[in-house]
Amino acid sequence: MTMGEPAYSTMDYSAPAMVEGIAYVVAVDGATVWLEPEQNSSCGGCASASACGSKGIGTKAARLEARRFQLVNDAGLRVGERVVVGIRENALLRASLVAYVIPLSTLLTAGALAQWAAGNDIITMFAMFAGLALGFGLMRIGAGRLLVRGDLAPHFLRRASAVETCNSK
Amino acid sequence: MKEYVLLMISAALVNNVILARFLGLCSFMGVTTRIDTAVGMGMATTFVITVSSMADWVVEAALLQPYGLGYLRTVTFILVIAAAVQFTELTVKKVSPSLFQMLGIYLPLITTNCAVLGVALLLVEGKMSFIASTLFAFSSSIGYSLVMVIFAGLRERLALADTPRLFAGPPIGFIVASLLALAFMGFSGMSA
Repeated sequence: MTMGEPAYSTMDYSAPAMVEGIAYVVAVDGATVWLEPEQNSSCGGCASASACGSKGIGTKAARLEARRFQLVNDAGLRVGERVVVGIRENALLRASLVAYVIPLSTLLTAGALAQWAAGNDIITMFAMFAGLALGFGLMRIGAGRLLVRGDLAPHFLRRASAVETCNSK
Repeated sequence: MKEYVLLMISAALVNNVILARFLGLCSFMGVTTRIDTAVGMGMATTFVITVSSMADWVVEAALLQPYGLGYLRTVTFILVIAAAVQFTELTVKKVSPSLFQMLGIYLPLITTNCAVLGVALLLVEGKMSFIASTLFAFSSSIGYSLVMVIFAGLRERLALADTPRLFAGPPIGFIVASLLALAFMGFSGMSA
C-alpha cells in the first residue's frame, strides 16, 4: 500500500467483539476438556528451560496450572492441540466492574460518611476497611450473577494455526 | 469539601501520573492496544493503588515516622504493595474463582508498575490526612486509567490508518503519546 491510498480493513464489525487468546488442551475428561492459557515469560524463554526442574510458587508452570479452565468438547479436541478461545468484550468490562469498582465504591462511600460523621483518621480508616469487606461481599453476589448468565466462561472459537499467536491478528 | 475537590482534580488531570510525572509508562505502551484491556488494567490499577496507599499511610504513620525509619521507606512500600496485590489476588480467587480466571492476568503486572510506588511516595511528601491521601491516590489512579483509555482509543484508530511503514506500530504510538502529553499540559494553568 502506498501513501495516500485509503486503508481497507477486513474486520467484520457486525460480529460481537471478542477478546481472543490461545490455549493448549492439557486433558480430555469425557465430554469436557481442560485447557491452559499459552503464556511466555522470561523464565520460560530461558535457554535452559527444558532442563529446569523448578515448579515452585511464582514460576510459569505453577501460574498456568492455577489458571487452568474447562470447556465442553464439542469440536472433538485432543490433548496437545492449540485452540483459540474467546470471551465477549463487554463481559471483560462487566467482570472488571464487579471485581474492582464495587469494592472501591463501598470503600470510598464508607470513608466519606465516617469522615463527615466523626472527622477522625482512625475511625475513617476502620470504616474504610469495613466498607472494603462489604464490597467483597457484594462482589461475590455480582460474580455469581455473571456466572449464572454465562458471561465468565470462555468460548471455543477455532483451532489455532501453527504460526498464530496472540499478537498475529 | 472544596479542598478535596481541588486535590482530586489536581491529582487526576493537572499532575497526571502518566503524562505529567511519567510514571507507569511500561503499561501505558504495553496494555493500550485495545480499549477493553486498557479499561481492565485501569480498574485493577485503581483498586490496587487505592488499597496499597491506605496500607502505606498506616505503615508510615505507625511505624516509619515514630521510629525514625524513613530510610527504609522505599523497601517497606514495595513490600506493602506486593502484599496488597497478593491480598487482592487471593481475595478475588476466594470470592469468585471464575472472575479470577478472567481478570487474574492483570494483577501480577501491577506489582511492578512504578506508578503504584510513585503515588505512595508522593503521599508521604504531601503529609496528608488519611482521607485526603486515599482520595489523592484514588484520583491519581483515575487519571492513570483515563489516559490509558484515551490512548487505547487513539491506537485502535491508528491501527486502521494509513501510516507510513517506518512509523507504523510503536513509533507513531510514541508520537501520539507526546501530543497527548502536550494536550494535558493545558491543565497546568489550573494549578495554584
